[in-house]
Amino acid sequence: MPDNLQSEAGPMADLERNRNRAAIRKAPESAALLAFLIAEIVFFSLSSPYFLTWGNWVNVFTALSITGVLAAGGTMLLIAGQFDLSVGSGVAFVALVLALSIDSLGVLPASMLAMLVGVCIGLVNGFLVTKIGVNALITTLGTLAIFRGLTQSIGGGRNIQIANFDWAIWRPFLNIPLSALVFLLVAIMVGIVLRRSVFGRSIYAIGANENAARLVGIRTKGVVFAGFLLSGAFIGLGGLISASQLGSTSGTTGLGLELAVVTAVILGGTSLKGGTGTMFGTVIGLLIVGVLNNGLTLMNVNSSWQQAATGLLLILAVSFDQLRQRLVGRR
Amino acid sequence: MTADFLAVRGIRKSFGPIEVLHGMNLDLPAGTVTALLGENGAGKSTFVRILAGDHMPDGGTISVDGAIASFRGVGDARAAGIRLIAQEIADAPTLSVAENILLGAWPTRAGLVDHRAMRELARQALEMLGTDLPLEAKVASLRLGERQIIEIARSTIGASKCIIFDEATAALSDAEARKLFQLIRRLAVRGVAILYITHRLDEVFALADRVCVLRDGRVSLDHATGDVTQDQVIEAMVGRAVANARHAVPPSTAAPPVLEATGLGSASFSDVSFALRPGEILGVYGKVGSGVQELSSSLVGARAFHEGTLYVEGSPRHFRHPADAIAAGIGHLSADRAADGLLPTMTLAENLSAPSWGRLARRGFVNRRKLRQAYGRWHRTLHIKAAASGEQLITELSGGNQQKVLLGRWLEAGSKILVLSEPTRGVDVGARQEIYRVLAGLAAKGHAIVVATSDYEDITAVASRALVMVRGRMVAEIPHERISTEALTEAAGGGVHA
Repeated sequence: MPDNLQSEAGPMADLERNRNRAAIRKAPESAALLAFLIAEIVFFSLSSPYFLTWGNWVNVFTALSITGVLAAGGTMLLIAGQFDLSVGSGVAFVALVLALSIDSLGVLPASMLAMLVGVCIGLVNGFLVTKIGVNALITTLGTLAIFRGLTQSIGGGRNIQIANFDWAIWRPFLNIPLSALVFLLVAIMVGIVLRRSVFGRSIYAIGANENAARLVGIRTKGVVFAGFLLSGAFIGLGGLISASQLGSTSGTTGLGLELAVVTAVILGGTSLKGGTGTMFGTVIGLLIVGVLNNGLTLMNVNSSWQQAATGLLLILAVSFDQLRQRLVGRR
Repeated sequence: MTADFLAVRGIRKSFGPIEVLHGMNLDLPAGTVTALLGENGAGKSTFVRILAGDHMPDGGTISVDGAIASFRGVGDARAAGIRLIAQEIADAPTLSVAENILLGAWPTRAGLVDHRAMRELARQALEMLGTDLPLEAKVASLRLGERQIIEIARSTIGASKCIIFDEATAALSDAEARKLFQLIRRLAVRGVAILYITHRLDEVFALADRVCVLRDGRVSLDHATGDVTQDQVIEAMVGRAVANARHAVPPSTAAPPVLEATGLGSASFSDVSFALRPGEILGVYGKVGSGVQELSSSLVGARAFHEGTLYVEGSPRHFRHPADAIAAGIGHLSADRAADGLLPTMTLAENLSAPSWGRLARRGFVNRRKLRQAYGRWHRTLHIKAAASGEQLITELSGGNQQKVLLGRWLEAGSKILVLSEPTRGVDVGARQEIYRVLAGLAAKGHAIVVATSDYEDITAVASRALVMVRGRMVAEIPHERISTEALTEAAGGGVHA
């Protein structure tokens, strides 16, 4: 074996430089976001005395629970370089299925049916993307329209009441509603799966370089399919939370959720090119949006302005990230 | 020889605390082909980007035609007549040949593109290069060599006085490379100063009037090509004499073959048969388009074959996915490391252990410590120049060290058969010799290795015997004692570019 230990300054200087650059590159990814979140929190706590109370924070997390559950799937998919835009209309369809079946089937079977419908939406998306080879953006744009249309035509545009389905607002622990606890649990589980499991690492590998991932023996299509199935399961869960939180469902349920999810995931540092990102980052991204909305509400700012502020925030954060990458990547 | 078009004096450039160029001097006389060699990290690309106006130097001067110039951007360098032809082709594939040649300088009439004038200018540019291409054809339909001619033609538009070629032949066939050299000579005759950057020594001696070597940010050799030998150039590049020894191991004929192909065929090759035994390094030599790369892809399950049978340890196998080949004990390196090998956002440890994640996991969960241990097992054996923790991103390593990490993948995975495509492509001289040593060492330990390559040095340095492919067919088998550059090029039906 080779053993020519020529230890000149060259390679060592290289190592040193690499280490420095790696440090610069890693640190700000979440640090800048966290700093931004803290700045938001400081700002709003100065402008509203109610902001820093336990009750208000519970509200922030509760308001995020549906988006958060969906964003867990969205993070997984975007790291693998995939999208699911059908989550918003999927949630509405799942809630409709629950509303229409709960009286005849009973709570538990109807919930299971609704979950199954969510998984089936993921199945359709996954099949089209991995077996037929349709681009994920196109596929889920299509299923977005299909399930929104189905929800509106079957539901008939009216508001359907769902009785005896209020588990999500039950507060079993520290006065936190179950829906927020579900969100936290999903976030932690997906975070661990992404970071530690072979499945999770395969998702990163596929997003980093799909050819290389296939050539090291990863069944890339199977993994992406599983990602869509999981996203479908989260659609099911999101639909159940939505139905329970609102106690009703209509044709406009979940409208625009897909954009809220993409906003949070990208704010959280997942690259559109895939291969990078974390569930922790997504939770920070969710909180940045959630805290902004909550704080502006406390300041009595109209919700239309909140939407504009969220859009502005997304563009600012990504612009900032581009500038940072240019500074670090310069060589 | 005419006056120097470009004179570089004492150029320094630092990135953060690290100085990459420490006062570099170089003259580029008009009408002369100057070759610039250097290992990865020597500062070649930094220097080129300074010349092209992409980076500002921290100190020193660049004089153009005797007057000191200051390039504040790419536009300034272009205005001074300097053009860069980068390694990667940067054209607009959906546009026509004429549109591409005039890209960025389309002639207009009344605000609209004047297609007739454009075709005429494009035709003139090609004529000056002594070549001809269909002006209306979409660039996407052309071969790589033709697309490169378009890049060169584009660089002659306007008053270009200095053209820099950055590793121009990396993806070209032999015939295309020969043609490129003719074009370059023609440009030099017309008084253009040429800077030709490469790490292929044969090209330097075939093409350049003058050879300069850059090492650790300084010019370590600057001579007329006729006055130096290859060994001197290599020594100037790596700073020490490199043993260019043959590492070949003679075939061990006693053992039964571990990989055997009979009559393999697909769209790109046909009727390929061979038997590979443990301890043997089988060289498969062929130029771009010969089917060598397609064959090696078929051996590892990355591409289907339609005829014939592949036997692994005596039993017929048909791989439907690379995972099947890996399970059968076949590891591989892809010809295009960036496109098919690296996991760029992942660490060295993750990259090296990727095929073994399943084995290193418990109940589906990866143990990071085990990944680091896996990296540690091969870090020293393979002589990877990086931190031993394996926590660096793989993109931070040089080509040669990346290649060693990718080779480590299959050692960690326990593959006994290795199918290596272009194992030394984009790897500098020193690392190349190390890779040869590693391969010879693996063969000595009983690995069976296929080296599928268009680089004859891979074969002469390390193969036990060689098969030569031309246009999808095996045309010759060369036994160990007769392997030589001449024998290979003769069998492949053409000279080394000259």
